[in-house]
Formats: sequence, C-alpha cells, structure tokens
Amino acid sequence: MGGKASHLPKESLSEYQELTFLTKQEINEAHKKFCQLQTRENGPMERVSMQIIMTLPELKSNPFRERICHVFSTSDRKDGSLSFEDFLDLLSAFSDSATLEIKSHYAFRIFDFDDDGTLDGEDLRKLVNCLTGETDDARLTSEEMRQLIGNILEESDIDKDGTVNLSEFQHVISRSPDFVSSFKIVL
Amino acid sequence: MMEEEEPGTPHFQRLISDESVSSVQSSESCDYHHTEIFAQLPSSQAHRQQQHDLHPDDERRMLESSVPPQALLVCMKIKRHIRSERAERWQQKHPAGSWDSWRQKQQITRRRVKEDISKALSGLLLWRHTLHKIEGQFGVGVKAYFVFLRYLFCLNVLYCVIIGGSVLTPTLMFTEKLVSNQTFGFKDIFVGSGVLEGSYSPVFHSFYTRGSLDFPCLNTPILFLLSMMSVLLLSIIMVVHRTGVGYKHVRLTGNRFSSNLSYKVFCGWDFSIQNEKAAALKHTFISDDLKMDLEEQKFHEDVQKRTIKHWIQLILLRVVLNILVLLLLAGSFILIHHTITVSQKYQNLDWIQSLLLEYLPPVTMTIVNYVLPQIFSEMSKFEDFSHATQLNLTLIRSIFLKLASLGIYLFFFIKSVDSNHKCAENAFGKEMYKLTVFNFLESFFSVFCVAYPRMLLVKRCLWLKQKLGLPQFDISSNVLDLVNSQTVTWVGVFYCPLLPAISAVRLLLLLYIKKFTLIHCCVRAQRIFRVASSSVLFHFTLMLGLFMSVIVLGVNINRFVPGGCGPFEGNRSVFNVTAECVETLPALAQSIISYVTSNAFAFALILAEMVILTSYMSRGRANSKAIERWKEMLVMCSSDKRFLAKKHNTMRRQKTPRNRHVQH
Repeated sequence: MGGKASHLPKESLSEYQELTFLTKQEINEAHKKFCQLQTRENGPMERVSMQIIMTLPELKSNPFRERICHVFSTSDRKDGSLSFEDFLDLLSAFSDSATLEIKSHYAFRIFDFDDDGTLDGEDLRKLVNCLTGETDDARLTSEEMRQLIGNILEESDIDKDGTVNLSEFQHVISRSPDFVSSFKIVL
Repeated sequence: MMEEEEPGTPHFQRLISDESVSSVQSSESCDYHHTEIFAQLPSSQAHRQQQHDLHPDDERRMLESSVPPQALLVCMKIKRHIRSERAERWQQKHPAGSWDSWRQKQQITRRRVKEDISKALSGLLLWRHTLHKIEGQFGVGVKAYFVFLRYLFCLNVLYCVIIGGSVLTPTLMFTEKLVSNQTFGFKDIFVGSGVLEGSYSPVFHSFYTRGSLDFPCLNTPILFLLSMMSVLLLSIIMVVHRTGVGYKHVRLTGNRFSSNLSYKVFCGWDFSIQNEKAAALKHTFISDDLKMDLEEQKFHEDVQKRTIKHWIQLILLRVVLNILVLLLLAGSFILIHHTITVSQKYQNLDWIQSLLLEYLPPVTMTIVNYVLPQIFSEMSKFEDFSHATQLNLTLIRSIFLKLASLGIYLFFFIKSVDSNHKCAENAFGKEMYKLTVFNFLESFFSVFCVAYPRMLLVKRCLWLKQKLGLPQFDISSNVLDLVNSQTVTWVGVFYCPLLPAISAVRLLLLLYIKKFTLIHCCVRAQRIFRVASSSVLFHFTLMLGLFMSVIVLGVNINRFVPGGCGPFEGNRSVFNVTAECVETLPALAQSIISYVTSNAFAFALILAEMVILTSYMSRGRANSKAIERWKEMLVMCSSDKRFLAKKHNTMRRQKTPRNRHVQH
C-alpha cells in the first residue's frame, strides 16, 4: 500500500495536530513509517504487531521496548500491537514538546512492570536489570541489588509504605533537569 | 495484561504495625497494595483506568478541566471524544455565536502560528543536527561540552555585533584613511605585529583615536567606553544568569541527592539512543555507575570505622601531599615567570627565533597545564578519598592551576610591559592576541600532530592497541581550555577590540576540529558525566574567569593613566571622558547624574539588595520547614491508610467464616 497511502487527508492531519504534540512534518513522517511497517504485516491490517513495531531502529535497542508497546497499545487482546493512533500517542508522549507531567506519567507506567499502580521491590528489580542489561558482568549481584533497592526506597519513598507511587515518582523526576531531554524518541 | 501475575493470596498476617514505619521492611509493608480495598482507592483507580473504557467520573473530570486535549493522559480515541464533547458543551453554552466560533478558530490558528514560529526559531539554532548526532554517539556529557562551545561562540558573535556597530563603523567612517607603507609579513599573523599593529589597522587600541567625529557627547572615546561597558555588563548578566539557573537545579537536587540512586535509576536510560552499540555502552555505563555508587556508600560506611591511628596517618599523608601540590604550583609559577623574562630579554633575532621566543611563555603554560593535572590525579589516589571526591579534587586543583597560571602570566606581563613600550595598551592587546592565536594553534596541532597520528598508529599496530589504546574525550580539561581562552578574550577586548571576532572564528573552527577528534580519534569515556551538575561547574569557572578579567582590566586602566595612545590618550583618561559630555547637559540632569554616581546612592542600593535577599532567604527557610511538615503528614496518612486496609481485611475475614457457617 506504500506510495498511495502515505498521504494523510488534510482534515485528519489537522485533527492529529490538535490531539498530539507533533507537528505536521512529524505526523507525515510517522504515517510514512507506519505504512512501511504495515506492508510487512501479512495483508493490510489496522494494527501492527508488537514484534514488527519493535524492529523500528528507534525502539530496537531500547530495553523497555516491550513495555512501551504494552503501555501505548489499545488492543483488546493485550498483545501490545499498535494502531496508527496508538503510534501517534507514543510519539507524542516522547516528543520534544510534551510536558514533564506527561512524560513522567508514561515513564511511570512503563516502569510499572506488573501494572499495579505502584513501583514495588520487584518492579524496581526488573527496572534495574533492564538498565544494566543481561550480560553477567554488568548485572548487579543480589547483595548489590538489595542495597540499591533499599537506597531507592529510602530516597524516594516519602510516605514510607515500601513502594514508590506515581506522585513520589514524579517528585523525583521533577528534581532531575535532564529527564525531559532523555525521555525522547524522535523519528 | 499482567494481572494474572499478581499474587492472588495476599499475606495479611504480615502487615506491619503502625509504629514500624520504615522502608527497611519494604518486602512486608508493600503487600497491602495487593489487597482488594487498595485496588478500589480513587488514587489507584485514576492510574489504572483502562484506556478504552472511560469511567464516568474521569470523563466528567476531564471535560471540566482546562487541559488541552493533547495533554490528556489517555488514548487518541478518548482525546477525540473529549474534544468533541467539549466543543458541544461550548456550543450549548454559547449558542449561535458566530463571533465566538470565529474567535475560537482565531485562537487555534494563533496558537499554531506561535508553535510554528518557536519551532522555526529552534531550527535556526546552530548545529542542532550535529549536536544531536554527537549526543546519540557519545552521550549527554560530551554534548554539554559542545553546547557550551556553541554558547561561547554566540556570545562572541554578539560582542562583535556590539563593537562593530557602536565603535568600529563610526571610527572607520570618520577617520581619514592612512596609506599602509608596511609590507605584510607571515609572522605578523602570529604575533600581531607589523601591519596588524599599525595605526591604520583596527585590530588594536591605538587605532581608535578621536577623528573628525568630535562632539561633546558623541566622540570615539565615549563610544569606545560605551561598547566595552556594554560588553562586560552583558557578559556578567548572562554568565551569572546561566550559573544561577544551573545552581538552582543543583540546589533542588541538593544535599542527599549527591549520590542519588533513585535519580540514576528512574532517569538513567536515554530513550533517544538508536544504535545497538551505544545501547550496549549505556548498559555498561549505568551498571558501572551504580556499582561505583554502591561501593562509595560502602566506603563511607568503612570511613566511620577507622581507628584514630589510621586517621592520624592519613591526615599526615594528606598534609604532605597538599604541601607537595603547593610546591608544584609554586614551581610552575616560577617557571612561567622565568620564561616571561627570557622571552623579553633577547632582541634582534631572525623571525623564526623571535617567534619561538614570543611563544615561549604560552608554550610553557600549556605544558604545565598538561602535565600537572595528571600528577594531581595520580596523587589524589593516595589520599584515600572516595572516587568522586578524588575526581573533584583533581578538577579543582586543575582549575586553580589554569586560572592562576594565566593570572601570574598577566601579572608579570603587566609589570614588565610599561618600561619598554611607547604604547603599553597596544603591547598588552598584542599579548592577548598572541594567546588567542596560540590557543588555536595548540588545539590544531594537538589534533593533527598528536591525536590523529596516534589513532593511525593504534589502528595499524595491534601491540600498540593493547598497550596504548585510544584516548577518551576529556570533557573537563576541554572545558577548562574554553574557559581559559574566553577569559583571555575578556581581558583583551579593551585593548584589542577585534579579539571577539577572532575568537568567534577560532571557536567556529574549534567546533569542527573537536568534532573531528571526537568522531575519529576518541573512544567513549568510561564514566558518565552528569550534565546538570557539570554544566554548573563549567559556568562557575567561566564566572571566575570573568571576575578575573574584570579585576585585570581595573588594574590595567589604573596603570595606563595617562594613556600613551588610543582613545584615552593624554589627559583624557577613562575616568573623565564622560565629564565633558555631562557638562553640556541641563542642570537638573547634571545633579541627577552626580547623585546616582555618588557613594550615598550606592550605599542605598546595597542596603535595598540586602533587604530583598534577606526576605528571600527567610522565605526559603519557611518553605523548607513546611515541606518537612508535609512529609511527616504524608507518612501519617499512609500509615493511616495501611491501618484501615488492615482493619478492613480482618473484619472481612471474620465475616466470611461466619457467612459460611450460616450457609451450612
């Protein structure tokens, strides 16, 4: 479907402009990319499966790619597949002009591996493992991990309930001036 | 989608009591999050709301809030729904308002135009694409260096515009053209002599004499003074502003955030990384960084356990090492002094020799500044400080060395200059010109004669590769070089008004040279350089350089009275050049000016500043107290919540067996 479909109608373009933080060029670029991904699916489908989304160079080397797909997917089957609108939502949250609040909200949901609304010890462990990678010399030992998680909770768990909730998370993030510049995916 | 992973049987018995609210028992206390009652709390509902079915409460909340649709934290379908719903409500509230709908449309277009303009402006920002690429390959720390370089470049271009507009153009227009009778020599470019020095080249101070432009309030000296004052004021304002902004960030991330692990974990990943290799490097960076921090923490715990004997030994060692550092610094200063005297002693040599002699002091300074920091970093290893402290200590010593050697150089130069020159201002400007040119030559040769051949050798020869390897891009020393040369520019701008133009060109070339070095001759650094805190350090050193240059300038102006050449020749010193202008003003304006420039006014100004500062400080203190109180309240609230959840569960469990009993 490549060439023909790579033009969005004008009215939906302006609608997307209003509903996302993306500019006209960015939306067109996203559409082109998405159409390319669609052609790799078997037959024209509305959604593109997670496996194909994750081959995008922007996501390929990201250790959180699976979580990102799951957070932005609106699929009923919870398989992490993205429609074009989900894809735009994703790019909008990761765009330059998205606010700190939006970015930190989505970051929290990406890091909340079990989707229970708080970051508990297990979430933090998975998060740290994603950050350090899977190689043996990079992974922290269980002793180091215990010390690290203890430190994180000591620092950011303000209400001392043993987990980091959204507002505590946003509190940490708001004090880190580099976050907005690093939570960014540009096509 | 991972609901099935949640443990279905929470361990209610292990809920901790209210008294022990400490995060150490995290594994036990977090269990209450898996209770049913917790899942029904409004706060967790707000987070968990599924994307496709909207809760009516949430819908109402979103409809009533004034958040623009793009900033809503829901999927596109709901955003669209909310937007159309809002538009409908708007229609109902303001029926048939063609005026309103027109205005709304106008608002939207205006916002779009504004966005487009800001986008276009940010597109105009120089080298955005280059910096983006560097960031992707070498991380944010190296990018911070390039951003700093770009900032200095823009600053220098701004100075050029100010000086060019306010003093250079008028002077060029109103001075009669002198015919050059000197021939242009190759050496002149390097030492600023000959054609560049003559009274017909605008490079140096002596060119800006009073020409035909000679009104009481509009003449070359006043224009010159005005442009220099505006350059200095502008730099002070901009540098202090940048330092202040950075400092605020550091303060916010303050004290206990010095080893902030939660920051490193939550903001650790750079989502803009697109490259497999870069991602692997980032993984090792993060892992090393975390491990190093944990080690550091252990180190601090060990420090607590040191015996008195150990302490005494350590303090003695530190004192000895610090004395050694001082000796090294003193030795290098003496060396610099010696080279200055040597370089001025010999006369009548051929041009190569004199060129070498002229460049002897800068070369010495460069060598000293290259060798000593490495000794410092070796020495700090013996002092048994934590790793971060070691790095900072080395950096601070290097900063001190760099700025102090420049200061010493200027001091001895100023002392020796006025005895054997007829135009001391020009001689000083020439020296600054030389330093600037030398800085450029140094970075040029260090790349094409050291770094590049080294890279070629390392690539060819396996043995060298193992032994030597490629260097890392040393951010801090490169930044120190930038600060150093900018200080020279500030010191010299008064005596060599075209110096900002020269350094702008130099920085432009430097950017490409450094980019070349980075991409071809460097490997990624092993330690992550934190942007926020490091850029504060950059700007802080820049501020130190600025203050140094202001002091040097003040000393110089006092020494060169009466001036030998240039705009402030003879009895027109910097101090009385404006008096002539003031005398022509009406009496009222005169008295106002004399009051504003009096001591009494300055005193009142300082008092007012003090009052404002005090009020800000007390406000800050009150705020931090309030924050502490709120934190306590939060802890209380959460323990209440936990208590209630526990109560609820015990009651439910009591109820369930009874129900079962009734059924039987």
